Amino acid sequence: MIRRFGFKAAILAAALAFSTPVFAQPLPILRVGMAAQDVGRLDPHFAVSTIDRVVVAWMFNGLVRFKPGSIDPAEIEPDLAQSWERSDDGLTWTFHLRPNVAFHGNYGMVTADDVVFSLKKSSTAATSAFAADFAAFETIEAVDPMTVRIKLRNPVPSLLGILTNYAGGYIVSRRAVEERGAGFVRSPIGTGPFMLDHVTPNQSAELVAHEGYFRGKPLLGGISYRFIPSDASRDLAFQAGELDVNYGRADQTWVNRTRQLPNVTVDVFEPGELTELSLNITRPPFNDIRVRQALAHAVNRAEFVRWRGADVSREGQSVVPRGYLGFINDPGLLPHDINRAKALLAEAGYPNGLTIRVIHTQLPEMLSGMQVLQQQLRRAGITLDLNIVEHATFHQQIRQDLSPMVYYSAARFPVADIFLTQFFHSRSIVQTPTAVTNFSHCDKADAQIDGARVATDLVEQRRLWAEAQRIIVREVCAVPVIETLLVFGRRNNVDYGYELNGSMSLGPLITEKTRLR
Amino acid sequence: MKALLAKVWANPMTFLGALLCLAIVLAAVLAPWIAPYDPADQDIISRLQPPGGAYPFGTDQFGRDILSRLLWGARISLTVSLGAIAVAVVIGGTIGMLAGYIGGTFDLLVMQVMDVLLSFPSLILGLIVVALLGPDLINLVVAIALTAIAPFARVARAPTMALKERAFVEAGRALGFSHPRILFRHILPNIMSEVMVMASLWMATAVRVEASLSFIGLGVKPPTATWGGMTRDGFENILDAPWLAILPGLAILLLVLGLNMVGDGLRDATDPRLRQE
Amino acid sequence: MLGFVLRRLLAAIPTLLAVLTLVFVIVRVVPGDPALVILGDQATPEATAAVRERLGLDRPLLVQYFDFLGSALQGDFGNSLVTNRPILSEVRAVLPHTVDLTLASMVIGVAIGVPVGIWAALNRNGVIDVMARLLSLIGLSFPVFVSGVFLLLAFGLHWRLFPVIGSADLNDPLDRLHKLVLPAMTLGLLMAAYITRVTRSAMLQSLGEDYMRTARAKGVPRRRVVWVHGLRNAALPIVTVVGLYVGILLGNSVLTEIVFNRPGLGKIIVGALNQRDYPMLQGLLVIYCFLIVIVNLITDLLYGVIDPRVKAA
Repeated sequence: MIRRFGFKAAILAAALAFSTPVFAQPLPILRVGMAAQDVGRLDPHFAVSTIDRVVVAWMFNGLVRFKPGSIDPAEIEPDLAQSWERSDDGLTWTFHLRPNVAFHGNYGMVTADDVVFSLKKSSTAATSAFAADFAAFETIEAVDPMTVRIKLRNPVPSLLGILTNYAGGYIVSRRAVEERGAGFVRSPIGTGPFMLDHVTPNQSAELVAHEGYFRGKPLLGGISYRFIPSDASRDLAFQAGELDVNYGRADQTWVNRTRQLPNVTVDVFEPGELTELSLNITRPPFNDIRVRQALAHAVNRAEFVRWRGADVSREGQSVVPRGYLGFINDPGLLPHDINRAKALLAEAGYPNGLTIRVIHTQLPEMLSGMQVLQQQLRRAGITLDLNIVEHATFHQQIRQDLSPMVYYSAARFPVADIFLTQFFHSRSIVQTPTAVTNFSHCDKADAQIDGARVATDLVEQRRLWAEAQRIIVREVCAVPVIETLLVFGRRNNVDYGYELNGSMSLGPLITEKTRLR
Repeated sequence: MKALLAKVWANPMTFLGALLCLAIVLAAVLAPWIAPYDPADQDIISRLQPPGGAYPFGTDQFGRDILSRLLWGARISLTVSLGAIAVAVVIGGTIGMLAGYIGGTFDLLVMQVMDVLLSFPSLILGLIVVALLGPDLINLVVAIALTAIAPFARVARAPTMALKERAFVEAGRALGFSHPRILFRHILPNIMSEVMVMASLWMATAVRVEASLSFIGLGVKPPTATWGGMTRDGFENILDAPWLAILPGLAILLLVLGLNMVGDGLRDATDPRLRQE
Repeated sequence: MLGFVLRRLLAAIPTLLAVLTLVFVIVRVVPGDPALVILGDQATPEATAAVRERLGLDRPLLVQYFDFLGSALQGDFGNSLVTNRPILSEVRAVLPHTVDLTLASMVIGVAIGVPVGIWAALNRNGVIDVMARLLSLIGLSFPVFVSGVFLLLAFGLHWRLFPVIGSADLNDPLDRLHKLVLPAMTLGLLMAAYITRVTRSAMLQSLGEDYMRTARAKGVPRRRVVWVHGLRNAALPIVTVVGLYVGILLGNSVLTEIVFNRPGLGKIIVGALNQRDYPMLQGLLVIYCFLIVIVNLITDLLYGVIDPRVKAA
């Protein structure tokens, strides 16, 4: 009787056991540890989280690309397109494709048809998270099998930026998307040096080398992208040699400890994510500019940097991250001054301070920053009553305009226009049909932002962007706090094949030249 | 009653447990006066200090004093678990008594609902409820109470059913006593001891569930200190500062252990089967 | 026999139906829009609406409810919103890890708990008994995340005996076993503590029964009295409790999986909650309940094996 049960249990267990084939490779596999529960969507046009962006960059190409290791728009170079021309008015762009570029598997060669399909998919809201970037696109068409023409409604500050190997610029195989449908998110087909073998949920994504990669056969046999959410476990695994590359914590203690390990290098690189506090200027208490100024005076940027560490962070200097085209470092930020903050609050009718109910995420990285801020504001008499919700709810509720203050960190394509438009243009105000992430309801610099976007004179464009930043800072629509850089550790035998100073995909780019020495 | 108490105290383990609980309750009550620092105050310069010196138990990643946070954290653990068990005893006990007393379809239906509650692992149920309501003190109490209602209903129902048939209850009914009077004057006192023993043991479980939820990240919101939350934060810094995880972990262990010892002593003293020997 | 199983399964149907309904309601009331999770932080309302439509979240609630009930009863819980793969295959991929952990902890618990419990009962109030009671109290007072962290610090970090990443390769039995040791110890010690206590008190009670005294009076050897008659009687409460504790094990596996970074049911339920993966959450809750119902059934059937009188009833 008991034996029979045991037998049944064994059959059940055998039936439920899930077997995955082990992929044998003569070349070494790079093991990358990521702070993640699981990978999300590997359709590059839906890859929005850091976790997804990092790995998508290893599997896809754009028409053009950032030079590996750099995020400088001036260093954008050919990728799937080998050359391009632009009309004098800047409205018509023609791209000539590189011949004989193979997709993964048996999906053939890249043609203009795939490129047109990809860009149209990217610009459609239902099939892409980045559709808003393509607002100025009028037509995308194949002139011949190797030529694509894009017509714009109005000039954009950096068309090439939209078409890089980042966000909506990735080119996918039309046939694979059509064949695989919704399954494409977990079985994507691109042209990059690595292709997806399989994903084991909550565990890892296994990539193998794309032998027919157009820049040459990769030096690595594959990549094992492992999801280890706990910092402690991941660090232990990295120390024990179970990982070659490790997602690091933007924290001086972590950097110092990791640097002391033998044969390990810590890479700190761009882009810095700028954390800003958006204040809803239309509703109490922040409809009173004195309360906004008081809050701005209460923020202690220097302490934030001391908390994070000087190697991995720096003070926010403007409402646009440092280094972006159009950024200025002197927009007139209010200095840290508790007494001034208290005086302003008293003047505004809050002599005993005030309490603000703020919605925030439980995401550890953002929650710990918020806790530092909470304490800084408390010193000035501003009490933050935190309503901690899980991350998805946070994103939903701040878009429903439920939080008078929003703590938000972001990095975008390094041109002032995108940041200014998404966060401070009235068109992007939340709860409107064209909403993006304008939580402050700021509409004070619309004219300057719009003017700069279509300006053909570069000096004039920069002047308008500078003016926009000064206005937003003066009106205290948002208070910039801190910029946090990306941190990854690697064992010294990992040679990326380029110098890592920056990566728009938010993690080290693994190319055909990356190798284990 | 006196004999019972004497019996309870005679057991050294119970005594030790009571002492542990008392110490923690005292620490919680006196926290505002004995804590050396404000538990939320951050001293960024002295973050992650090891125990000793100005900070007897060290500091966390924000430079907050661990000792002060432990003392204040005791308040949360005790409030949430006491509150949750009180709610569960009242609601669960009432449901169980009514089901046992009324019987029939009502009993069947109610116990069916209790079975549904029991068919979720309690931590999973707590997890979902807190995620649903949002983590704060009241919601934690509600979530933990919800996981404990069904067991209390069961524990109250069985003796009620047995007592209903007993002579003194029959006599009461014959005398025309109202149902509430029979329930509260005659049945309740007879099931009280069993319910109380269970309550003391479930207090321990409640402390553990609260700490577990905080550890998963669904605890009382910051900057409030909770032991489970402190263990979690400590775990993330375990390579730099292992005491951050060890100290609050030990605190939870001591409180749960104390409660279990007291509960055990109470049960041994009241269990008739064990009493006869 | 078969009739008994069928009756029990039929009796579980209302419970499962109630669970399904409860689960559906709970999942809809949780705030947080799955469409936003998918689209990320730059999504426009237009794009969000498009995704909601594609996911079927814009349909009336009643339609969604009956759709869910209908397919759930056929064992189809739909596809995960995140991975777009069938829920059941996602669950199947991690279930071996959870089964490994649950079974191993159970075995450790029984292997330690039953002998220690009997030993303690036979030495009532002796040194062994007091030690066993104290240690079992400490064991069941340890929240698993605390004992897990302590074990990890000692064996993973200090002595480096076991790996810190618990996600084993299912095709490599050695690796699987190696990575199971620490998590299974964490839960196994908790189980051992519970089982020691239950065994002890069940044995004490059984040893005190009249017929046991009679047997001893009749001159049946003590050893035989204890091991044959005593244990046979004590087995019933022990089995009941072990069955009940599967629920505790399943719940606590969430914590163990976080601490040891092991894949498993607990980890996907936390993930599904965070990502607002409705179908996944629904499917998991139903699977949890189903597992508990099955375990209860097995427990009931074991009663019949241990005590033939129960089968007749």
